[in-house]
Amino acid sequence: MSELRIEATINGRKVKRTAQPHQRLLDFLRDDLHLTGAKEGCGAGECGTCSVFVDGVLKKSCLVPVGKAQGTNIETVESLAMGNDLSVLQQAFHKAGASQCGYCIPGMVMAATAAMRANPFAGREEIKERLGGNICRCTGYQKIIDAVELARDVQNGRLPISALAELDQEDGKFIGANIRRLDAPSKVSGALKYAADMTMPNMLHLQVLRSPHPHARIVSIDTSQAEAMDGVEGVITCADVPGEDGFGVFVHDQPIMARDKVRYVGEAVAAVASEDPVIARRALEKIKVVYEPLPALFDIDAAMAKDAPVLHDYAPDNVTKHIPIRVGDIEQGFAESDLVIEETYSTQAIEHAYLEPEAGLAYVDPDGVVTVISPSQNITHHRHMLSKIIAQPINKVRFIMSPVGGGFGGKEDMIYQGMLALMAMKTRRPVRLVFTREESIASTAKRHPSRTVLKMGLMSDGRIRALQLNMICDGGAYGLSSEGVMRKAAILGAGPYNIPHLRVDTLALYTNNTPSGAFRSFGALQTQFATETTLDMAAERLGLDPFEIRRVNAMRNGATTHTKQKLKSVSLLRVLEAAAKGSNWEAGIPTSRGDTRTDMGGEGLRPACTLGARFETIEATEPQSEVA
Amino acid sequence: MARKHGRGMAACWYGIARTATVDRASAFAEIDDGGTVKVLTGVTEIGEGILTVLAQIAAEEVGVRPQDVTIGDNDTARSPEAAHAGATRQTYMIGNVVAMACSEARQRLAEVIAKQWDVDVDLIETANGEIWARGTNHRMTMSDAVHCAKSKGVVPVGSGSFGTDTTGLDPVDGSGRPWQAYVYGCQVAEVEVDTITGEVQVLGMWAAHDVGRAVNPRGVEGQIEGGIVQALGQGLMEDYQLQNGHTTTPGFAKYILPTSLDVPRITSIIVEDPDPIGRLGVKGIGEPAMVPTIPAIMNAIYDAVGVRITSLPASPEKVLEAIKRKEAETRQHAMQAAE
Ligand code: FES
Ligand code: FES
Repeated sequence: MSELRIEATINGRKVKRTAQPHQRLLDFLRDDLHLTGAKEGCGAGECGTCSVFVDGVLKKSCLVPVGKAQGTNIETVESLAMGNDLSVLQQAFHKAGASQCGYCIPGMVMAATAAMRANPFAGREEIKERLGGNICRCTGYQKIIDAVELARDVQNGRLPISALAELDQEDGKFIGANIRRLDAPSKVSGALKYAADMTMPNMLHLQVLRSPHPHARIVSIDTSQAEAMDGVEGVITCADVPGEDGFGVFVHDQPIMARDKVRYVGEAVAAVASEDPVIARRALEKIKVVYEPLPALFDIDAAMAKDAPVLHDYAPDNVTKHIPIRVGDIEQGFAESDLVIEETYSTQAIEHAYLEPEAGLAYVDPDGVVTVISPSQNITHHRHMLSKIIAQPINKVRFIMSPVGGGFGGKEDMIYQGMLALMAMKTRRPVRLVFTREESIASTAKRHPSRTVLKMGLMSDGRIRALQLNMICDGGAYGLSSEGVMRKAAILGAGPYNIPHLRVDTLALYTNNTPSGAFRSFGALQTQFATETTLDMAAERLGLDPFEIRRVNAMRNGATTHTKQKLKSVSLLRVLEAAAKGSNWEAGIPTSRGDTRTDMGGEGLRPACTLGARFETIEATEPQSEVA
Repeated sequence: MARKHGRGMAACWYGIARTATVDRASAFAEIDDGGTVKVLTGVTEIGEGILTVLAQIAAEEVGVRPQDVTIGDNDTARSPEAAHAGATRQTYMIGNVVAMACSEARQRLAEVIAKQWDVDVDLIETANGEIWARGTNHRMTMSDAVHCAKSKGVVPVGSGSFGTDTTGLDPVDGSGRPWQAYVYGCQVAEVEVDTITGEVQVLGMWAAHDVGRAVNPRGVEGQIEGGIVQALGQGLMEDYQLQNGHTTTPGFAKYILPTSLDVPRITSIIVEDPDPIGRLGVKGIGEPAMVPTIPAIMNAIYDAVGVRITSLPASPEKVLEAIKRKEAETRQHAMQAAE
C-alpha cells in the first residue's frame, strides 16, 4: 500500500510527514512524533489512555486511522503544560494525590480537560459521567474526581489558586504530612517514560509465537523459513537457552519458552526480532511447530481425579502446594459447639488489568553486561534467575526497574524478560517487546480461582470453638507464586480470632488453565471472604450484632495466633471501634433488617445511579477573593 | 419496592512484608552538595507513592525538605538490595532502612559541625535545610554544612540494613513466626439492590485500617480507595473466563472493570498502632485494604434482600436468581403455613 502524506497541526505546530496506511493516530503520535504521553492501554477504545483532542473533540487515538488526521488540529497531553507550567487541572491532580501508577493519568487529564471545557460548572456526578470512558485501576477514582472538582472551583474563583500549593511544614516534620507526590508532575504531564515509551538506537522489535493448545507435546519447531525472511534479525526458541532453563517465584518450573511441551494457551514458544514489528509478526506465521495434543485438565476436580494426566513430572499428583495448619482437636471442637455452620464458597479468576501492558527493553552493554529494563516488581530475584538461565555470573546481569504502570502482583513473574535477554545476546542489538492487551490477558497470571469449604462451630455466646477451612485453588499451568499464595491464605484464613480447635488446608493444583499467581492480597482475600461471611451467618443465628461477634472472638494484646506466634500489640478492637463509629453503625442482628435500619442514607454516600440524573450543574457563584 | 438498601461489615488482618521467610532490605544515603540528599535503594515506585514516602522520611531524618531528596535507582547494578515491590513491605522495609541510612549520614555531618563549633554533638539539630546547636547562636544552612564537612575531608554518607525476625512454618502443624508486624482492618458497606434487575450498587464504604503510622495520610487513603474498588470489581463484575483453556474474555470489552460510575463514596479512617520493632513505627496498607471489602458488600446484600451470595461475582443475574429462589421459598413456606 502506498504511503499517506499527513499535514496537520499538532500541539500548535505544523507537521508534514508521511505515514503508513496501517498506522493509527496513536502510532503516528508515539512512534513517528515521539509524543508518548498518549498510552496504549487496550488498543480497542475501551480504556481511554490514548485520549487526545482532534479539532477540539476528545478522541481515543487508538481508534483513529492516521489518514483521518489529515488537515486536523491535534492536541495531546504534552500541549497542556506548555512553557513548563502545569495547567490548573494538572496542578489539581498533583495536589489531590490523583495519580498513582500514572499510566491512565494523561488520558484522564485529557478527559477531565474536555469535561471542564464542556461544562466549567459540572457537578460531581456529571464529572464522573464524563470520565466514564477512562479506566483507572489504581486510584478507585475518588481522588481523580476530587481533583477535577478542585480544579473547577479554582477556575471558577470559588477557591483561591493557593488551594493548589504545597503545605509548608515549618517544623521540618514531614512524616504524617500530606506532602504532594513528587512523581506526580511527570505523570500528569505525560513526560514520564514507561518501558513501551523508551527507544534505543538500532533497536529491534520482538514478537512472540504463542501456544494455541492447552496441553500438547512439541514434536518439532522449524524456524528456517522465518529466519530466511528479509528483515528478520533473529529467531529464538528454548534451544537458545545456554543455562538452567526455569523460572518461578518459588519453584522454577516454567521455561523461558516452551520446552518439549506446552501447558497452556498463550505460552511462549518462539520469538522473532526485526526492525519492523510488522515483519516480525509475519515471520511468526512462518515458524512451523508440530504439536501432538495431549489430554488436558481444565478444573480442580479433573486435576485431582485418579489417573489424571500429570502436568509436571516432579508433581505426580498435580499438587503445586499444600499448606496445613493444626491447632487442638477439631472433632472435639465441633462436638463441644452449640452451633455448627458449614458453607461452600467459590471465587473466580481475576485479571490484574494494570493499564500498562507488559513491556521491556534489553541490550548487552559494552562490558558484556546483559541488561533488562522492564516494569518488574522483583528485579532482585529476576537477576538471580536470569544469571542461571543464561549461565553468566550475577554481575554480568543487570535489571533496571522502569516506572511500573500498575502491578498488583502481576509483574512479579519473569514471564518475558528472559526472551528479551536471549534475543539481545543473539543479535547484539537492543530489543524491545510490548505486549498487546490481548497478549497480556491471555498469557500472564491471574488471581487464583478457589473453592472453599468452611465449617465453623460456635458456643451460644458467640465464641468460635472450632474452625475447619479447606480451600482448593486452580493454580494453572505453572507454579509462579502459588506456594506463597497458599501459605498466606492458610495463615490468615481463619481471621484474627481466638479459635481453640483449628484445621486449615490450602491446596493449589496444576491444570492447563492460564497460570494463577501473585495478586494483591495473595490468597487472604479468598479465605477471609469465607470466614467473614460465615461470621455474619453465625451472628444472625446466635442473635448477635456482627461487630459484637467479632469483639467476642477478637485477638487481643498478647494473643497467640493460629501458627502459635505470640503477638504483642493487637489493634483489632480499636479498628472495629473506629469503623463502627465512623460509619455510625446501628447495632443489631443481621436478619436482613435493611428495611428498618436508621443508620442508612446519611453522610459518606454517593447518590444511586439513575440514568440521566447526573447532569446537574453546580451553582455559579461570585468569585471569591484570594485569601492570604 | 424495587430498590432495597442494606449494610454489612467485615474485618480482616494481614501480615506485613514477606511471609514465613526472613525479609531484608538496605539503602545508602549521602548528604550531598547544596544540602540535598541522595538515597539509593534497590526497589521503588509501583504507583503506591513510595518515592514520596521515602523522601518524606529522608527529609525528616536529615533535616531537609522532601523536594531536596533524590531517590535512585531501582537498578541491580547501582543500588543495594531491597528485594521486591510487593507484599505490603515497601513502607515497612524500605522506609526503615532509608531512615537508618539517613540517620547515619546525618550523624556523620553533625559530628564534624559539632567539632567545628566546639559543642556537644547531642546539641546539634537539623530541620528544613538548616543546622544549629541548641542553646547557642551557632546556625548555618545544610548547604554550608556539607561544604564545611567536605573541606575537612568528610563526605556525610550512611547505610542501613534491616531484616525481620521470622521463621518458616512447620510442615505438619503450620506453627511458626511468619511476620513480625500485623495489621487489622474493618470495613462497612452500604448498598442498594435493585430487585427487578439484580443490580447491586455500592453507595458508601467506611474503611478503618491500622497502618502503624501514616507517613502520608493522603497516600494511605489512595491505597484504601484503590484497594476497595479493585475488590468491588471482583465482588460484583470481573470474571476471567476460560473455555477449554481458551479465554473468552480476551479484552476490556468482555472483561468488565469498575469505572468512575461504579464506585462508592469511600471514607477512610486511619488507625495508628505503631510497630514496636522498626525504627519508624510504620507498617503498611497496600494489600489489606481490599481484604474486608467483598464480605462487607455480600453481607450488606444480605441485609438488603436476604440472599447470601457465596459464589463470586455477585452479578445481576446471580443476585436476581437468588432473590427469585428466596421469593419462591417464602411463598412455599407461606402456603405450607396456611395449610
Ligand atoms: S482506548 Fe485507546 S488504548 Fe485503550
Ligand atoms: S493511576 Fe490510574 S491506572 Fe494507575
